[in-house]
Amino acid sequence: MQSDESRTDIGLIRIHDKVISSISSLAATEIEGVKGIRRGYRTGFISILDKKGISAIKVIKDKNGEITVQIPLIIKYGYNIPEVAARVQENVRNNLEKMAGLIVKDINISVQGIEKD
Amino acid sequence: MRTLGILFYTVILTLIGLGLIFLALGLSFEGFQTFSTAYVNTIFTYLETNIYARITIFLAGLLLILLTVSFAQLIIGRFQREKNIAFNTASGEVTIALSAIEDLIRRLVNIIPEIKELRPDVRVTKKGSLIVDLRVVLKSEANLPELTMRLQDITRAKIQDVLGIEEQIIIKIHVAKIISDEEKDRRRKETEGEHSAIPFGRYSKM
Repeated sequence: MQSDESRTDIGLIRIHDKVISSISSLAATEIEGVKGIRRGYRTGFISILDKKGISAIKVIKDKNGEITVQIPLIIKYGYNIPEVAARVQENVRNNLEKMAGLIVKDINISVQGIEKD
Repeated sequence: MRTLGILFYTVILTLIGLGLIFLALGLSFEGFQTFSTAYVNTIFTYLETNIYARITIFLAGLLLILLTVSFAQLIIGRFQREKNIAFNTASGEVTIALSAIEDLIRRLVNIIPEIKELRPDVRVTKKGSLIVDLRVVLKSEANLPELTMRLQDITRAKIQDVLGIEEQIIIKIHVAKIISDEEKDRRRKETEGEHSAIPFGRYSKM
């Protein structure tokens, strides 16, 4: 598992990918119209062998230290998907920048399903 | 990874095929028979006496199953990921799985009361058009041209409204079955009869 780190005068601060994933998940689900986050295909045996498989949200970090977050979403029936997706992207970006001080390059949304309440 | 998965399946299936061919050949020709029988006997005797060999075979089998399941998941996941439509926003990419659009269309059953069952299949052409195949079962003998046209309009409007896409949407409808009122009544009576019937009800107490 990778982690984002920054150095201060008195030591090192590491932010685990799981934390970025959790912030993204919470920020995404607080938007109206989002039913939840879908677990990825990396379940079952793969998730046992590979701890990354536990979270469906993928965090990719490039050489410049910028991060890309991939979120598989389930949208509630009746909501406009592009609008909900745009609001999720904005909220996730704001929360990641505010809480973890990260530079967010892209937030890729993958709508995997539509469900009723 | 996908190539590796396909390669893995190809090698395993080829080995099984070769094994079966050699087994059949070995049992067909007399010259090979003695050799093959003795050889198989030796293997089984060795396995019977050596517990470590059995444990190794057991673990190899288990590992094979785990690998197969994992590769299957990867390949299926890759195939599923390919089936989607995508557009870009200022903050990144948004992809919508075609199965999500199918979920959306399935909900239309509640809007049109004449429809009993609706099975959508959504595809995207290379030109970017969205093709929706609808297989419907209707409840009553309604005016088919009017109903199908209404269904097409509602489906198109819903997709455009929810997805906000400008691309051409082609909606094909296949009416698979029409359940008449008589059939519905008969089915209702049958179900009521099944529910009201008391098990062994016709046997009275002595």
